[in-house]
Amino acid sequence: MAGLELLSDQGYRVDGRRAGELRKIQARMGVFAQADGSAYIEQGNTKALAVVYGPHEIRGSRARALPDRALVNCQYSSATFSTGERKRRPHGDRKSCEMGLQLRQTFEAAILTQLHPRSQIDIYVLQADGGTYAACVNAATLAVLDAGIPMRDFVCACSAGFVDGTALADLSHVEEAAGGPQLALALLPASGQIALLEMDARLHEDHLERVLEAAAQAARDVHTLLDRVVRQHVREASILLGD
Amino acid sequence: MGRSRAGSPRELQASCCRCEADIACFAATDGKLLSSDVTHYVIPDWKVVQDYLEILEFPELKGIIFMQTACQAVQHQRGRRQYNKLRNLLKDARHDCILFANEFQQCCYLPRERGESMEKWQTRSIYNAAVWYYHHCQDRMPIVMVTEDEEAIQQYGSETEGVFVITFKNYLDNFWPDLKAAHELCDSILQSRRERENESQESHGKEYPEHLPLEVLEAGIKSGRYIQGILNVNKHRAQIEAFVRLQGASSKDSDLVSDILIHGMKARNRSIHGDVVVVELLPKNEWKGRTVALCENDCDDKASGESPSEPMPTGRVVGILQKNWRDYVVTFPSKEEVQSQGKNAQKILVTPWDYRIPKIRISTQQAETLQDFRVVVRIDSWESTSVYPNGHFVRVLGRIGDLEGEIATILVENSISVIPFSEAQMCEMPVNTPESPWKVSPEEEQKRKDLRKSHLVFSIDPKGCEDVDDTLSVRTLNNGNLELGVHIADVTHFVAPNSYIDIEARTRATTYYLADRRYDMLPSVLSADLCSLLGGVDRYAVSIMWELDKASYEIKKVWYGRTIIRSAYKLFYEAAQELLDGNLSVVDDIPEFKDLDEKSRQAKLEELVWAIGKLTDIARHVRAKRDGCGALELEGVEVCVQLDDKKNIHDLIPKQPLEVHETVAECMILANHWVAKKIWESFPHQALLRQHPPPHQEFFSELRECAKAKGFFIDTRSNKTLADSLDNANDPHDPIVNRLLRSMATQAMSNALYFSTGSCAEEEFHHYGLALDKYTHFTSPIRRYSDIVVHRLLMAAISKDKKMEIKGNLFSNKDLEELCRHINNRNQAAQHSQKQSTELFQCMYFKDKDPATEERCISDGVIYSIRTNGVLLFIPRFGIKGAAYLKNKDGLVISCGPDSCSEWKPGSLQRFQNKITSTTTDGESVTFHLFDHVTVRISIQASRCHSDTIRLEIISNKPYKIPNTELIHQSSPLLKSELVKEVTKSVEEAQLAQEVKVNIIQEEYQEYRQTKGRSLYTLLEEIRDLALLDVSNNYGI
Repeated sequence: MAGLELLSDQGYRVDGRRAGELRKIQARMGVFAQADGSAYIEQGNTKALAVVYGPHEIRGSRARALPDRALVNCQYSSATFSTGERKRRPHGDRKSCEMGLQLRQTFEAAILTQLHPRSQIDIYVLQADGGTYAACVNAATLAVLDAGIPMRDFVCACSAGFVDGTALADLSHVEEAAGGPQLALALLPASGQIALLEMDARLHEDHLERVLEAAAQAARDVHTLLDRVVRQHVREASILLGD
Repeated sequence: MGRSRAGSPRELQASCCRCEADIACFAATDGKLLSSDVTHYVIPDWKVVQDYLEILEFPELKGIIFMQTACQAVQHQRGRRQYNKLRNLLKDARHDCILFANEFQQCCYLPRERGESMEKWQTRSIYNAAVWYYHHCQDRMPIVMVTEDEEAIQQYGSETEGVFVITFKNYLDNFWPDLKAAHELCDSILQSRRERENESQESHGKEYPEHLPLEVLEAGIKSGRYIQGILNVNKHRAQIEAFVRLQGASSKDSDLVSDILIHGMKARNRSIHGDVVVVELLPKNEWKGRTVALCENDCDDKASGESPSEPMPTGRVVGILQKNWRDYVVTFPSKEEVQSQGKNAQKILVTPWDYRIPKIRISTQQAETLQDFRVVVRIDSWESTSVYPNGHFVRVLGRIGDLEGEIATILVENSISVIPFSEAQMCEMPVNTPESPWKVSPEEEQKRKDLRKSHLVFSIDPKGCEDVDDTLSVRTLNNGNLELGVHIADVTHFVAPNSYIDIEARTRATTYYLADRRYDMLPSVLSADLCSLLGGVDRYAVSIMWELDKASYEIKKVWYGRTIIRSAYKLFYEAAQELLDGNLSVVDDIPEFKDLDEKSRQAKLEELVWAIGKLTDIARHVRAKRDGCGALELEGVEVCVQLDDKKNIHDLIPKQPLEVHETVAECMILANHWVAKKIWESFPHQALLRQHPPPHQEFFSELRECAKAKGFFIDTRSNKTLADSLDNANDPHDPIVNRLLRSMATQAMSNALYFSTGSCAEEEFHHYGLALDKYTHFTSPIRRYSDIVVHRLLMAAISKDKKMEIKGNLFSNKDLEELCRHINNRNQAAQHSQKQSTELFQCMYFKDKDPATEERCISDGVIYSIRTNGVLLFIPRFGIKGAAYLKNKDGLVISCGPDSCSEWKPGSLQRFQNKITSTTTDGESVTFHLFDHVTVRISIQASRCHSDTIRLEIISNKPYKIPNTELIHQSSPLLKSELVKEVTKSVEEAQLAQEVKVNIIQEEYQEYRQTKGRSLYTLLEEIRDLALLDVSNNYGI
């Protein structure tokens, strides 16, 4: 069999998308009653669930408390059945720790931490089909919004790759597994500021700009969608409250 | 919008020119649309695409829609090669076919049902898409789906009106009854497939071990257990020896430097010359050495090396990564041989023209009729149970031994296709006829710098040259500095990117020069007329002008841009040289001076002589600077390092090149160098440059040894030392020694190649032969496509400098890299075909001569290499290189009596470092040293299946004395063109002999002064002629 063709001559990707297209995004806010804020997002086949508790007092060691701002605590865990190979440990392994750290960096940049002293965000991923980080950020954004914690802006994240001289937005698992460069970007869309930028594999610096632009454009598209979800949610909530 | 839609079946997209909405959505891709003037659209089923792709490639078949489902089936089941063929077909603007992504289309996508087989689902999907497509075209265009699945025909045949489902054979019969070639190809594919099916049922014993699966191969290569490389079969021992040249990645970690020997057909395991193979090394005790003895092509059995050299790494093929099968020219066995092949008359073993290709098994009924013809076949498969590969017959080329047939053979073997330019292509060409002459347009006049009045522009070319693509100018500026200009024909003005003519030129990549003809890259209206910078007419040009310091000739400034020029003189080299030498008598030969009165003539002549003189001065200076860095001057036709920018180099290798040659070449090199710098600076990652990698030192060992035999020392450490020591290695008594040494040096070097700057590190840009850090080809856009690309790059670079938008998109690095590979490959094909056609003509020249009596068949030869049973000779008079045996087939060796005439006697040979001694049993001995002159007799060894070869026989160990040595020496290079002429003439005569009757009648007309009325007789004669033509047409099926 010939090698997998990530981008056909006609410009289609393996799943029929064009280079700049996102996977289908569906999201809901307020899925759990007992948490302060929660959200569920589906990006293609990647599904993520985020719950936010807080702001509340520091639990455990008091020494961790910061005098001037809130502490953002992130935990990431993926369900054992979420990947092709079954995982032994749902959380606490190196990959999860790293992901938690990245999420924390991202949200410390976005949440107005100085307003609220303590808060905690927990994120669970159910099925991973590429772009886990992006899905987590997007889910967490919705959850934080749901919890009513003030943020500078939405944090919208998207991944991008580079195949045959073309930048591909929102990589699926197949595209990630092919081993090309992969870039994850978390953006504050209104100001265009970058909350987090991460890249693995090598990419020539000449192409970086294009890939970055593709990811940013995709992130802005995510923003429009999330915005729509939030407005829809608020509308529904106000109807419930009003009547 | 539209960004967030679901994964799979979504976007509505189709491409037919009938609905406008689709045009809009297709503009986003490549804009290829099906034409609307066909009677129907045809949709091949997946099976048809897999099996009959060759027929679908016919340009006559139009309106083909390939479904994505079918394409994917090809990709998965037929491998990369066939899939790439399909991709190229879809990309090619000349073919009227498109891809419809039916699986991404909301209405066409069908999920596979439970329990449904893959094949059934594919057929169902394709049919469903066909129906949708039919409705999409508002039921106006009938759709024909061709399939091989009988069930599908029954099931869907009458389901939808306007969508017909028929078999492929049926389709050809009904819609293309006249397309004979397609029918034949279809039959031959069918037959070979049937054979294959039968064969797989009969279970033979295995002839070859099975290939390993791809995963194992890849893992093996990574772990270093296997080695990947390209298989190269030794032409002279095709059955026994093949070498695998290591490819990049795998060689770096293993300590192997040399090639790997594959010994015997079994170890080669069904791989064919040119395949990318994976080999496993054998244990050291099984290693073998390569054979050093000369060996005749047709001896299969005796070859296992009488005295092999020391063992080298030996391996066996365990798998093939990429099959590089192409069309092969073959010959059917003659009648007697067919009988001896016996019972299985339907299956016939045919012998390829190329020695390196194994015999191919063909099943055909036409064997008898095809006996005397050269035929094209393709290989279908090679099962492990079969000794030979299976193939099928494609088409007939021409009779064996016939000049046209043999030339066609050479073209096919080099994969050169030179059909005449089509109407669509010619439509794009500007018109220049006496009725409507081509003129400089006013808009262009505005945009371009006008040099018609201000500059004295002239060209220097060989005599009779039609396609002048470079001119020169030189003048003094007001500030006293000099201005040197090189003006190149502006081909890109006429050839728009991605126009039909551009695509055609890109496929051809270069003009092919064969010995007696040439196949132009561009139509003659451009190459010989509008782009040719002829004297006295206005032409568009792309110019480079340097401002040089008046004294030191340092370059102060450079200007690139489009211009209008009018060349004042079209000089030829000899005349220019005479003018340079101050010999003004040649003036009468220059047509431009003819009609002038004495006074203006004198003034103009002085101006021209000054210009040529100044130019030579500058060229000398530039050359000296380059020589300082170690530029090489190399003799030889194989790599035209130095003489590259002149036309028809091959025909004109003068013994003492005129200085004007060098002057012109130097200006061209300078222009190329500056353009290379410019485009590289503007587009560091997508500029097309030319590199010449430094050679491997070990290849020089033969050169060094040869030179040592003559007492010279060749220092090969750098290009500078090599150039110097080659200059010193000059035997005053024998100028041929130096020439041979130079040609050996050339052979040791690798070829110069085009490349894209994005895919190479900057250190690798270096041009070894010219000693320049950057080099490209810019000066011959009429005959090289690379120059056209460089012109476009230069134009883009200029607009970039002016901060203007770059018109048209340039090639990306990846595309450019692919293009470079294509051009390099075509250049090599051009060189091979040129060499082969020259050999063909040499053979035809000697064919009719009786070697025993004809004076011309006896000549002087120089020994330039020594093998265990013979020597390699160079014959300066004809430029032939070949082998001569010192030991014949019966084991007799050569001996030379006192009168120095040679005889065959029993004895033995002894080979030394740089001599070989033949001792007979009765004690006589004769020794041949390197660079000895001997007398040889040239004869032809005729061959039915292959090209004829020249045979050399040493008849005396003394140099051949020619009555008039001087004259022959002078005429030797010219002789080649004479040779071509003579052969062509004799071929024409043979044809004439057939038509002699007709001619006699015409002569009678003249003699008796009869008018040419339409008598019944002439009418009958004409009919007879037509009948003759018909018969000959049948041969050309």
